Amino acid sequence: MNKKKSYSPALVSILIGVVLCGLVFGLLFLVRNTLKANDTGIVQMAQTIGRKIVDPYPINPDHIGAVLLSLLGAIMLVVGAALIISGIAKLFEAIAENERNMMSYVPGALMLLCGAVIAYGFAKALLLGVTRFSTEGMYVHLFIDAGILLIIAALLIGMGCSRLVRAQKYNRSVKIYGMPPADVNRSMGLKASNLISGIGIHTLLVIMSVVWLIPFVCIILQSFRVETAMPVGYVLPKTWGFGNYTGLLKTDFPKWYLNTFIMALVVAVLQTIIVLCMSYVLSRFRFKMRKPLMSFMLILGMFPGMLTMIILYRVLKDLGLTQANAVPGLILVYIASSGMGYYVSKGFFDTIPKSLDEAACMDGATKAQVLFRIILPLAKPIVIYTILTAFMAPWGDFVFARYISMNTSAGMNVAVGLNSWLSLDQINSHYTMFCAGGVVVAIPVTILFLCLQRYYVEGVTGGAVKG
Amino acid sequence: MASVKLTNVKKIYDKKVVAVHDFNLEIKDKEFVVFVGPSGCGKSTTLRMIAGLEDISEGTIEIDGEVVNDLQPKDRNIAMVFQNYALYPHMTVYDNIAFSLRLQKLPEDVIYNKVTNAAEILGITDYLMRKPRALSGGQRQRVAIGRAMVRDSKVFLMDEPLSNLDAKLRNQMRAEIILLRQKLDTTFVYVTHDQTEAMTLGDRIVIMKDGYIMQVGTPTQVFEMPENLFVAEFIGAPKMNIMRTNLRRNMNGNYCVTPFGSEIEVTGFKNEELKALNARDGEIILGVRPEHITLTENGGPNTIPVTLEVNEMMGSELHLHVYTEDGTRIIVRVPTVDLDPEKRCSLVSGKKLNITFTGKVMHFFDPKTERNILVKED
Ligand SMILES: Nc1ncnc2c1ncn2[C@@H]1O[C@H](COP(=O)(O)OP(=O)(O)OP(=O)(O)O)[C@@H](O)[C@H]1O
Ligand SMILES: [Mg+2]
Repeated sequence: MNKKKSYSPALVSILIGVVLCGLVFGLLFLVRNTLKANDTGIVQMAQTIGRKIVDPYPINPDHIGAVLLSLLGAIMLVVGAALIISGIAKLFEAIAENERNMMSYVPGALMLLCGAVIAYGFAKALLLGVTRFSTEGMYVHLFIDAGILLIIAALLIGMGCSRLVRAQKYNRSVKIYGMPPADVNRSMGLKASNLISGIGIHTLLVIMSVVWLIPFVCIILQSFRVETAMPVGYVLPKTWGFGNYTGLLKTDFPKWYLNTFIMALVVAVLQTIIVLCMSYVLSRFRFKMRKPLMSFMLILGMFPGMLTMIILYRVLKDLGLTQANAVPGLILVYIASSGMGYYVSKGFFDTIPKSLDEAACMDGATKAQVLFRIILPLAKPIVIYTILTAFMAPWGDFVFARYISMNTSAGMNVAVGLNSWLSLDQINSHYTMFCAGGVVVAIPVTILFLCLQRYYVEGVTGGAVKG
Repeated sequence: MASVKLTNVKKIYDKKVVAVHDFNLEIKDKEFVVFVGPSGCGKSTTLRMIAGLEDISEGTIEIDGEVVNDLQPKDRNIAMVFQNYALYPHMTVYDNIAFSLRLQKLPEDVIYNKVTNAAEILGITDYLMRKPRALSGGQRQRVAIGRAMVRDSKVFLMDEPLSNLDAKLRNQMRAEIILLRQKLDTTFVYVTHDQTEAMTLGDRIVIMKDGYIMQVGTPTQVFEMPENLFVAEFIGAPKMNIMRTNLRRNMNGNYCVTPFGSEIEVTGFKNEELKALNARDGEIILGVRPEHITLTENGGPNTIPVTLEVNEMMGSELHLHVYTEDGTRIIVRVPTVDLDPEKRCSLVSGKKLNITFTGKVMHFFDPKTERNILVKED
């Protein structure tokens, strides 16, 4: 039956998605566990050198159990979801085919029921596993539990009702006029299946986004906690306030922020220009050694950038561009090899028909005018992609920034600066401020993404050249 | 407004593929020249060399007496219409047409006048604010022409501009190109693989094959005096019938051909020419156009008995596909008015007919060189 086919790809994608989701969960916990183990190691080390000892994270042997529990929960949740979806699909197929025999609705209904029970049970197991660590996690647990159930229920009920109404209209129209109503242009069965997979995918997306949002929510909540400044084992602050944000102004944070911002801005501009020009040349011009140059850069790009760290440090130190002067030094480092990142944009430029260039040439455009007036407007998504990646790289860089600023606060970027607050002698007085700093750092990047993200979706070459 | 001269132009791709060999042509001012030939014969390559989009491997191209080999396309003042239109998809029709004018930094009101004027001529005024993807094929074609038109360029190049259109639209656009040409009154080079387009549009036709020019001439010349077998077969639809036969003098001293055992006398000016040439008896390739074959009532020494295979009714004429006793296929074109209805009905598959050739319009080709023996070598 081809009707079944119409929702099976959706099922497969859901399966993959949820398995991935489970893996993410698992990883999350494993990472958390290892982090803890390391912290304890550091703590023990600190103990031996006689520092003040705090052990905020006792290792719980139960953690492995929690990981397993959440993995199992996630997998069974998938099974449950699959059952629910196929159950609903079966029901709608039956409705669409205008079945009079009540028995034909039974398998669908049964599947739906089983799926719902299994999914609910294991969703709880999953959430219990997730929230095992902290007692305060119970809040999160309850909140998510209720939220997910509400969303699923609302989606299903809403969609189901509208389906039922339309199915009724359909049946009446067929009965009275002998033909489907005007607003139904496809077979109901197909439509029902598409709808189901739509619901499935959206439910999944909602679940996944909730899961992914948890750490961010935690950080934001922590940043408003003013009763103590040290890391604690609960999520909801007991006293709320903006103290951490105002406190940031009194530290070196504004300096770090400015450093990062300047670097990101300069690198975004320069790197975008370099990458786009490089890609244009490699895509449109034919010159000697073009192919060898491209493969040379490809191979060169395979070496990890870290390899150059020591020599770069030496060179920059000789130029006087380290420590307090790290900002220009880092800008040099970031844009130095940016021309080698031409693949993505060259690939995109290659898809723009060459006859457009030729037409522009005939119209009297120079090569530069072709690039700026024809190619770039058509490659808007890739231009924006380039700008974003160029902006993000210095924004999140830690290794080079750390190395070249060398413990000099004036040359640090936010990542390095904030990290310094997590050192043993600062963490207890700066932890919440660290969270606040994290939130402030996230703001411009988030705004940038929100503004530019719509360009990704814009289709551009439609109607250019008749195929 | 300009003449174009190509001298010994040669194009070699990638150091091995020779796309154009030794191309010599002089295009006069305000002439409409059509390059025609089968796919891959180098028409586009030649055109693109004139435009400056391809390097010239050897030889020179002159525009108005100035060698332009090393000039960029933008400095040649040439306009071109591409086969796939190549409209800028991110610009409106207005901006597409105005693009070249903006690059010339003309004032906006001048641009406005020029664009609206061109749009009016082409009948695309209503679409000026649309993006190309919202246009039909024919409308896009007009925009592409409009974009080339506003430039007042010296030479107007068109590379198969009609090949993406359906048959009806193509006929309509062909007529419009003739009108456009009268309005623009400039030098045109037009590429097509369609011999009808070539015949109807061109002042002169350049017929090409595998990178060589086979013949250059007016439509009448290439139709009536094809220099070689290739041109003879390429020009004219349906295609000329070709057969191997013998040429000899008969008792009256006139030349005659002997296809399929019959004996058909060459008459009129062809006979005179053969006499003047004092052509030797011997094997020959005979070419007869389908419209120069007639059906005869009775058999006889100067007729060929054939059997009808397919009868294609084209409206004003019939295309009769017949085969001779030895299986050679021949196409005969008979105007419908020449046949009474009764006769027309009897023309069904399997019917035996007699045909003969009109003596004064036969073409003779050398079996070895495939050249027309009546055209003097230069
Ligand atoms: N960029 C290129 N590299 C190598 N060979 C090429 C290139 N462009 C064209 N050719 C070759 O040159 C010859 C002539 O090509 P051209 O495009 O001029 O043909 P055309 O007469 O325009 O054919 P069509 O009617 O199909 O457009 C062909 O054999 C083609 O394979
Ligand atoms: Mg071509």
